[in-house]
Amino acid sequence: MNQENKVLACVDQSHFADFVADYAAWAAQRMDAPLEFLHVIDRHPEIGSGKDHSGAIGIDTQETLLQQLTEEEKVRTKAERERGRVFLNRLRERALAAGAESVDVRQRHGELVSTLVEQERDARLIVLGRRGASAESSGRDIGRHVERVVRSLHKPILTVTDAFKPPQRVLIAFDGSGVTRRAVDLVASSPLFSGLEVHVLMSGKTRADADKKLQEARTTLESRGMDVVASYVPGDAETIIAQTVRDRAVDLLIMGAYSHSPLRTFMFGSKTTDLLRSSTVPSLLLR
Amino acid sequence: MQSIRQDWFSNVRNDLLSGIVVALALIPEALAFSIIAGVDPKVGLYAAFSMATVIAFTGGRPGMISAATGAMALLMITLVKQHGLQYLFAATVLTGGLQMLIGWLGFAKLMRFVSRSVITGFANALAIVIFMAQLPELIHVPWTVYALTAGGLGIIYLFPYITKAVPSPLVAIVVLTALTVLLGLHVPTVGDKGQLPDSLPIFLLPQIPLNLHTLQIIFPVSLAMAVVGLLESMMTATLIDDFTDTPSNKQRECMGQGVANIVTGCLGGMAGCAMIGQSVINVKSGGRGRLSTLTAGVVLLILVVFLGRWVAQIPMAALVAVMIMVSIGTFNWGSIRNLREHPKSSSAVMLATVAVVVATDNLALGVLTGVLLSGFFFAHKVGQILRVRSVAEDEGRMRTYTVTGQVFFASAERFIASFDFKEVIDKVRIDVSRAHFWDITAVSALDKVILKFRREATEVEVVGLNAASATMVDKFAVHDKDGAEDLLMSH
Repeated sequence: MNQENKVLACVDQSHFADFVADYAAWAAQRMDAPLEFLHVIDRHPEIGSGKDHSGAIGIDTQETLLQQLTEEEKVRTKAERERGRVFLNRLRERALAAGAESVDVRQRHGELVSTLVEQERDARLIVLGRRGASAESSGRDIGRHVERVVRSLHKPILTVTDAFKPPQRVLIAFDGSGVTRRAVDLVASSPLFSGLEVHVLMSGKTRADADKKLQEARTTLESRGMDVVASYVPGDAETIIAQTVRDRAVDLLIMGAYSHSPLRTFMFGSKTTDLLRSSTVPSLLLR
Repeated sequence: MQSIRQDWFSNVRNDLLSGIVVALALIPEALAFSIIAGVDPKVGLYAAFSMATVIAFTGGRPGMISAATGAMALLMITLVKQHGLQYLFAATVLTGGLQMLIGWLGFAKLMRFVSRSVITGFANALAIVIFMAQLPELIHVPWTVYALTAGGLGIIYLFPYITKAVPSPLVAIVVLTALTVLLGLHVPTVGDKGQLPDSLPIFLLPQIPLNLHTLQIIFPVSLAMAVVGLLESMMTATLIDDFTDTPSNKQRECMGQGVANIVTGCLGGMAGCAMIGQSVINVKSGGRGRLSTLTAGVVLLILVVFLGRWVAQIPMAALVAVMIMVSIGTFNWGSIRNLREHPKSSSAVMLATVAVVVATDNLALGVLTGVLLSGFFFAHKVGQILRVRSVAEDEGRMRTYTVTGQVFFASAERFIASFDFKEVIDKVRIDVSRAHFWDITAVSALDKVILKFRREATEVEVVGLNAASATMVDKFAVHDKDGAEDLLMSH
């Protein structure tokens, strides 16, 4: 087994991490790849602690201050590290019980996105909770880091929701573009999807070459001996995809993500974010 | 976007609070340094406002405090005395221009030649100079001034034991001012020292003749101020980097100091730079972001413009107490404890830096001395790494000298002296393949050795010169090519 092909599961200390672990174990097992849990401890050196507003400086103030700040940081980091370790080990047990073979854990200091960008190199698949610790209290429906993480990474990302069910039926949201054709190729070639029922769905505006593109996708998938259901439903893509996912009991959605610039997303919203919101099944996002 | 938010708004409450604390600590300094420079207090106050406000946006080290400083004030005394205020404003603008140029050229990297000892010496010298600048306020004055100063120091250091929520220097100033007014004491006050600001600063270009003569007057002062300002700013930035465990952008800081000084000159302020003492106070009070610097500048201006009438009543003794506190806080007391333990050369560099500054009142000269001295000491140390061994061969007809180590200007003399020219011998072989010839001095020393042997009719063979002189990296320019390390370390 090659370290460069690991499944990287990003977890934080929330109950969503359990489902990340389940899906990551499922993927690692099917792909025969090692699994690694990554917990990023976000330090905030830019936030001061400041209780001393006396404004007085005296002999050795600089040395004392440096010592005191280092000490505070040390205590905080140590506690975080210990908590993180216990929690990661629990997830490791869970993944091992679920059948993953080689499971590693790792804690890193730093900011989430930049740490993931560093770690992405050795990963083949990244598993991410669609919501995290802050959702436990705020109840928001999509984590605040998700878009930023997805935008800055280049490997396939599996975003999971809060329930685990081994996927049986996958749906490719297909529009004939480069990234969705890659999705078809990936599904055709990856052991992750072998033996699963594949739906290819095309929607949106009426297009002349839709049938041809769909046919190509079907041929690619069938040549690998997969069960393919290809269909074309004109109409609003978001509604139709969400509708189809429910009607056909699809349990994994595959789509291209965030192909437009952040500015455009800011002004018009993002189809990816909308879909992540409206569909309740895990999604594999390709960049 | 992410970093703007992080630099400005990640620590709002602490930044605002510490900014206010720093603003209060800036007032006495700005006043005191104006008095050192021989200008009206409002020049220093405007400078403190504009430096802090501009550097909050342009600086490369969030959380660092810049304002009018003592190091800069000392350099402008003569200029102000001989040519007046407008020339000072022009020099301030030129200082900013030079700092931007230095930053743009990437000279911030040269800071690596400034050793730890020089930096310690700089801080100590600064502390001594700040302290000495207070002495005129303590000579030929009524005894009440001494009493007030002592009382002020007592409040500053003892008040934090009661509460740390209120800046004790401010408490000292308020208490001493109230005492002088209530008791009707006749002691010098800030109002006696010159005009205080009564309005917001206005943007004006300095009124000076734009010709070569003017440039001749202001350029030397501006250059010294640019260098000293950047040095103190870089040092303070490093200090804050250590405190907060975050990196800073030194080049941006250089450019930012430049912009801040240009704006300050045009707003009628004196040149400034980062301040060690105030920056320490800021970090101590929890300030980390740019907002703390901006708050300090804005609050300072509001205070002095609207409370100007009261500021004039502050007795000088209160300011002296605050400045003595700053000088105690800036001085590196550990360096005195370490004098005995540290290598003598390091201590000598530190002491020389301090001595030159105290003698000349010019921090730039002190740092230059320190840097040169550390260079000398280093060359001397490396020059010790030279061994010449010899062994007679061929029944005493030939002698082989084996040279190992560093041959350069500081060790060339020793290199020559290790050969025995009076020995009666047919042939000499000099094996230099395990030596490094660093410069022309080394090569000519070898030439000299060869000539001397020839005069004694001794035949000379040099082995491995190519390998040895490969270290003259300038000539062969191997230092920037692949394999340079192998070449240098192989013999």
